[in-house]
Order: sequence, then structure tokens, then C-alpha cells
Amino acid sequence: MSRDPLVVGRVVGDVLDPFIRSAFLRVIYNNREVTNGSELKPSAVVHQPRVEIPGRDMRTLYTLVMVDPDAPSPSNPTKREHLHWLVTDIPETTNSGFGNEIVGYESPRPTAGIHRFVFVLFRQEVRQTIDKPGWRQNFNTRDFAALYNLGPPVAAMYFNCQRENGCGGRRYHAVSGWT
Amino acid sequence: MWSSGLDNHSNNKTNNIDNGNSGHGGGSRIISSSSSSRSSPSSTSSILLRTPRRRTMEEVWKDINLTSLHHERRFAPLPEPHHHHHHHHHRAMILQDFLSGPCFTVSRANAAVEDIPLPPPPPLLPPTALSLSSGRELQYLGGGGGGGGGSALMNGHSRSSSNSNGSRVHGQANNNDNNARSGPFMSPSFSDAVIGPSSPAGFFSFCSKKRVMPEGPGIGGDRRYKRMIKNRESAARSRARKQAYTNELELEVAHLLEENAKLKKQLEELRLAMDAQLPNRIALKRSSSAPF
Repeated sequence: MSRDPLVVGRVVGDVLDPFIRSAFLRVIYNNREVTNGSELKPSAVVHQPRVEIPGRDMRTLYTLVMVDPDAPSPSNPTKREHLHWLVTDIPETTNSGFGNEIVGYESPRPTAGIHRFVFVLFRQEVRQTIDKPGWRQNFNTRDFAALYNLGPPVAAMYFNCQRENGCGGRRYHAVSGWT
Repeated sequence: MWSSGLDNHSNNKTNNIDNGNSGHGGGSRIISSSSSSRSSPSSTSSILLRTPRRRTMEEVWKDINLTSLHHERRFAPLPEPHHHHHHHHHRAMILQDFLSGPCFTVSRANAAVEDIPLPPPPPLLPPTALSLSSGRELQYLGGGGGGGGGSALMNGHSRSSSNSNGSRVHGQANNNDNNARSGPFMSPSFSDAVIGPSSPAGFFSFCSKKRVMPEGPGIGGDRRYKRMIKNRESAARSRARKQAYTNELELEVAHLLEENAKLKKQLEELRLAMDAQLPNRIALKRSSSAPF
């Protein structure tokens, strides 16, 4: 039974296949590094974070994907996964600001439930052109990686986020009652 | 409509139970009293009862229902009555109960039930563990008994038979020894309302907490069941979330402690190296830095 937070939190399973970490990933919102599996408020993640990729070799390029697998709600993830950010050609030792932003950062705004927001890092073999997906919802990280031959992920981390004022749980709808 | 029929059925049954009937003899007498309280099918069955040797499917079904109460196992599982169209709802419910009754629960009853609500066929336990596992089987059947509809039906039945609860308990007293093994099993078929004498009250309350308690048959119970499932999933996600965060913190703590130890060691080594080299550096040297 793996104790890896990514496995326990079902990120490995819902979004990714099991992988071996071979790179480092640091996500920094407002000068604070995010701990894997911690909870952040929507107000703290409005603007895009600085994603640092520590290392040695500036020639290695990475692709960063940020998805929400719990869209629209964790108990009913019909729009899994919702793509929030896509940046390619990030050189090692630098950060996401040096890459090529294919899909701009969208602020997490969960309405129902507590969502996971997952950052996935892929190592690129070459500098490649990645086409912008037509839409953000129902994105599939696995398929995306297969399509562009990115191979298995090299690093991943996630944080939780719910509505600013809480009550991501059952709320009364006039039509459908308590859901 | 079927619930009212059941009420009559059960009430009459309990009257006869108090008279100390058991097995077939009691069965036939009970049938006669209960069938007389019925409307359309009673005529056929009452006629046939005069010649007790010819038994209709209805009687047989009643017998099963009753004897399952009394834990008589002499019946082989009967074929699905093609007469069941008479009172469809009643039959369907009884069949369900029958299927969850002793003949069928034997294999299930031996199971150790860990998961709710819809586990795959559970592993077998030795018969000695029956009395313990049967309570948990309550949960299993409650959760998995044909899904929401099934549990709704079963629980609907429980509402109607709740009146006869007390007397039914009494009635089973004389069959207590026979019931010892299968007493708790009856609870699933008649849901929470019936307390077998061999299952302790604490047991029952434990089991009932986990059971679905819908308002009645039909969509009310189904919605509640789905809600319960959703709630369970949500709880599981919540636990996973908490556990993942805790694991991450533990990993980080371990990592930081290790780094700290390494850095301290490095510091010590550097200090030692510095102390050793220090005398050489004290002397100031004059060096020329002029361009010419």
C-alpha cells in the first residue's frame, strides 16, 4: 500500500498512471511554496504561480500541465479534467515564465465540493510544437502525453481548493432539491 | 396495498404462533386464518385447504414465508410461482425475502462482511463465526439486497410488519433452539423491525445504524440510498485527502531532518577545516597591484 500522497489522494489513478519521479517541481503562489496535498483558497490562487524546475542542465525542456480532475464536482466529475494551464519548452533550472504558454492560466473557481488541482511535469525530448486544444474541459492528460510522445510524467504535485466561503457540500437548488 | 395484506397476514400468523404452532401443522392453520382475511385469492386457497393434500403455489409460498420465520428448512427452494401474477407485488416482495431468507443466506451468512454497500461475493467463514457475522450480514443485505429498490421493498415491508414485532418475537420463542443458528438471518428478510431473540439488542442497534432507513418503498428509499452512497464516497475522499496531506508532511519532515543533519555535519567539517588552516591566513602579504 503506497504512502505516496499522490497515490493516497488518488491523483495517480484518476489523472496519471504510476510513475517514478525523476525531476523536481516547486509551485510557488505569492512567494509561498505549496505543500503537496495542502489546501488553498481561490483568492490565493487567482494569479498564476511561479513553477520552478530545479536542476543542472538548461538544455532539458519540460512541459507543464495543470488540470482539475474534479470538475464540476468530485462526486460527479463529468468534465474531468478541466485544463487550467499549459506551458511547454520550460528549460531546466528556470521557471514557467521562460516557457511557451499554449493555454493561459485560468484561476481555479470551484463551485461544488473540494477539487484537486494537479500540476504535471513532462520531460520533452525535443523542442516541439504543441497545438492548443480546442477547449479546456474533458482534457485527458494521459492521451495528451501519448499524442505528443511525452512519455511518463517526471514529477507531479497537487493542492486542494474549495469555494472561498466554504460550503462546497450540499446546497439547496430550487429545482433539484438538496444536491 | 400489499402492505395491508401483509399486516393481516402477519397478525393472523402471530395469533397462531401464540398457540404454540410450529412447522407444517401451524403453517396450514395459519394459512387458513390468513387466507380467510384475503380478498380474491382466498377463495381458491380456502377451497383447496379442505383437501390439505392438494397445495397450491400460493399455499406453498405462504408456507415458505412462515416457515422461514420458524426456520424450518424442509422446503427445497420452490420454483418461481407462475401463479404469482395474482398478487404481483406481494410475491415479488416475498420472493425477495425468501431469497434473503435462511436457505439462501447460508452461503452469504458465512461471509465476513467488511465493506458496505455492494461488495463482491465475500469469503467464507467457519460456521462458528455465524452469530457474529450475521449481524454484519444485515448490513451487507441492506446495502446490496437488489440495490435501492430491493432494500426499499424490504424496508417497506418492515414498516408494515412493525406492528406485529412484539408478538412475533414471542412466537419464535418455542423455536428458539432451532433458531439459534439462523435467527439473526431473519432480520434481513424482515428488516429492522424484527428482532430475533438470539440476536442481542446491542447487536441490532449496531446493525441498524448501518442500514438504510427509507421512508417507504419506491423512489424515496432509492434517493436516500443514493445519497448514502454519495456520502460514503465523499467521506472516503475526505479521509484520503487527510491521509495524503499527513503523508506528505511526514515525508517532508523526514526529508528536512535529514537535510538538517547533513548540513550540520557539513558545517562542523568546514569549521574544523577552517581552524586547521587558519594560521596560514593570518599573515598579511603585500602584493603589487599597480599596472606598471
